[in-house]
Formats: sequence, C-alpha cells, structure tokens
Amino acid sequence: MGRTYQTSDFRNGLKVELDNGPYTMVYFQFVKPGKGTAFTRTKLKHMLTGNVIERTYRTGETLPAADVEEETMQYLYNDGEDYHFMNEETYEQVAIRADAIKEEAPFLVENDKVDVLYYKGNPVNITLPNFIESEVTYCEPGVRGNTAQGATKSATLACGATVNVPLFIDQGEILKIDTRTKEYVGRVQK
Amino acid sequence: MNPQRLRQRAAIIRALRGWFDQHGYLEIHTPVIVDSPALEEHLEAVPVGQQFLHTSPEFAMKRVLASGLCRIYQIGPCFREEEVGVHHAREFTMLEWYRAGAGTAELMDDVESIISTAAVAIGLPALTLSRRTVDSLRAEAGLQDTLNEVEWFRGWVEKVEPALLEPTIVYNYPTWQAALARERNGSADRFEVYLGGIEIANCFAEEGCADTLRQRFEQSNAKRRAMDRTPHPVDEPLLAATPTMPRCAGIAMGIERLVMALTGAENIADVQVR
Repeated sequence: MGRTYQTSDFRNGLKVELDNGPYTMVYFQFVKPGKGTAFTRTKLKHMLTGNVIERTYRTGETLPAADVEEETMQYLYNDGEDYHFMNEETYEQVAIRADAIKEEAPFLVENDKVDVLYYKGNPVNITLPNFIESEVTYCEPGVRGNTAQGATKSATLACGATVNVPLFIDQGEILKIDTRTKEYVGRVQK
Repeated sequence: MNPQRLRQRAAIIRALRGWFDQHGYLEIHTPVIVDSPALEEHLEAVPVGQQFLHTSPEFAMKRVLASGLCRIYQIGPCFREEEVGVHHAREFTMLEWYRAGAGTAELMDDVESIISTAAVAIGLPALTLSRRTVDSLRAEAGLQDTLNEVEWFRGWVEKVEPALLEPTIVYNYPTWQAALARERNGSADRFEVYLGGIEIANCFAEEGCADTLRQRFEQSNAKRRAMDRTPHPVDEPLLAATPTMPRCAGIAMGIERLVMALTGAENIADVQVR
C-alpha cells in the first residue's frame, strides 16, 4: 500500500494517481457550502498527456500518491525514433520514445540537463530547463535598426524549434528561449 | 495584507455602520468566549479551556432580541477550525444583524441595500441581486433530486456555484438544511447571498419554538457523534430565552468575502491583517 494524501495535504504540484495515470495538482480550492460538508475543488493535469481535468473531493477522501520519480539527466542524442538521456553520476542511459515528448523535443539541446520523469519505474516524460540557448540556422536576413515593437519573423533553431524573433535577428546568432512560453528572450553574446 | 485593500475594507465598514445607524439598528457586542459554539454538524469551534471561541454571535444576539431590543447588529471576529483556503481563514470578521417583526423578504431588501452601500463606498455602482430558488438552480444545472447529503452538496459545489456568477439571493432550502431557521411551506425559510460564485451571507427567519430548537440541537449532535466529532453543549440560556424572542430574522455576512467580491481581491489574506 503506497502513501495516500488527505484533502488537507492538497497543494499545487502534488502528484497523485487516478484511474488512468499520474496527475499533478495545478489548482486547489477549499469550499464549504453554508450548511454542508467541506470539499476541495481541484484541477489535475495528466503528467503524460497534459490533459487537465476537474475533480471535487470531500474532506476525508484520500488520493493515492502517484508512483513517480524525477531524475536530472543529460540529453545525449536522438536516433530518429528515441531520445537518449544519461545520468551523469552513474552513466546509466535511458531512452524515451519521440511521441511521448512531442512538445518538448524541439527544445532539446545536446548536453543540456533535463528532469526525466519515471512512472512505475519507466522513463515516460521530461521537463525542460526553463531557458535554452540555440543557434539560428535559418531566418530572413536581419533588418538593421528595426526595433519596432511587436514586429517579428520566424526563425529555425539548431535544436529544431521554430520561434518568433524580432526583425533584427540574423542567421548564426545564438538566442535565449524560455521553454515555458516557447518565446524569444534575447541574444546571447558569443 | 494589501494596504490598498485595507483602506477599501475600512471605507466599507464605515459605510455599513452608517447604514445601520440610519436604519435604527443598535450596535452591540456579545462575548467571544461561549459555552455552546454552534448548532451545526459541520462546524468545528476553537476550544478555550472548557469553553469555545464563538463561530458566530448568533445565540447571544438572539438572547439580546428576547430582552426587548428590536434591531441589533454586530461586527466582530469569529473563529472556525479546519477552514483554510483562499476564501476561508480560521479567524475572520462577521457582520450579523437581527430585525424583530421581519421575515426573509424584509432581510432580502436589507441585504441588497447594504451591499449597494458597501459598493458605493468604494466608488462602484449599486448592485441588484437576482432572486433564485434552490430547486430552480439545481434543475438548471441538470442535477437530479438526491437524498444523499454528500452527493447533494457535491452537485452544488461542482455544478451550481461555479455558474452563479451574477449577484444572487438563493432561497427555499431543503428542510434538512434548516439549522435554526423555521420551516415554511415545506422549505427552510432561509437564504444565502452569492457574489461571483462565492457565498457571502446566510439568513434565517428564526425558529421560535424552544422544543423544536432542542430537537435540532439533538439531531445535530447525533450527526456529530456519527462523524466522530465532539457534540456541542445545548445552549440552555438561548432555549430559556426563546419563548420571549419576537418573530424575527437574522443574517450573517462575511466582511472579508464582501470586501473580496467588491474589490476583486483573490485571496482572503489580502483583505485582512495576518
């Protein structure tokens, strides 16, 4: 019997197990109707698919903890089907199928450290570092001095992602990208 | 705490006192430490020695009504254990007022006028409250009748409250949620006020029969025992005063929730000093 959480343990980031897999709690709110028992409204995000569901739990109900672990690993390479990661202390390597990390994969930069999520002992998902740096491999030529607010063009990065960048950016420049918003943050001095 | 919100809170409370003054209500203060903290199976009081901090000033205010004062109000701290969240704090401020000779209809008018006074005090327009029965809201949310108390409230919390965005007075509750309200035409004669989907006030047309009240205390305590909660002592001074209590209605409003609803504050911690 694994550990379970009471409604009083609820907090953002709690990892719980429902019928169809592990979920992270992304919202919780204590509610108590005038003459009734107390409930906690929650929003739960599926840790593999990203689907968000709403559930209401009565005080006294419990949820089992999800059998998940996170491990910081180095991204090594992509062999066309799988993405390979290595524990830098044990040199143990694991592979994750491309379709499990479709959203994240374009922002994987070789040698960057990512958090690999294990569910029931198997690597199933990753959390990217908040920021990555990657070189522009293609964009329209830069327009000097054009700093008009809001005007952007699209740029393809060495890691594979395509992001919107300001008009003055040139091919060959290294950009800093926020992986949470998938947005351009700035240029990096070479 | 947010200094701007505290200024708005002060402006609202000042305007509320002005409203009660104008309408002939007397401000009173009842003891915070009491023998019997509540008649409700789902409320947990904070113990102080053999006594409790009150969860609301209801019982003492009714004894004041029975003593002959017809319009009374009180603004002060109340305490409830186990209630913590963005809309709940263990210690919060309650406005409670009672009016002799009145029923829920008169207090619906009072509450609309009071919320409007509070809104105007911080530069907002006056509010109109829709009036809806519990049954009509449940039907609209597609909820079936149920005798299961937990499922009733689960449906309410999941389906009805999130859709209650307009300022609304909800009335005609099932009799098993009467607490200290009288029953009339098969319903509990009480209402709640919702602003932005959050309950901010609860009104009873008060039950005036001491025997009925004693039964309610006993039923509530039976439920408490079944839930492994300590039963609350029956408030004997209240039952002794009940025969001389006039026909009346009373209402309790959470000041922090009122301030939150009007200012848009998202956390009760923003509108109170912690």
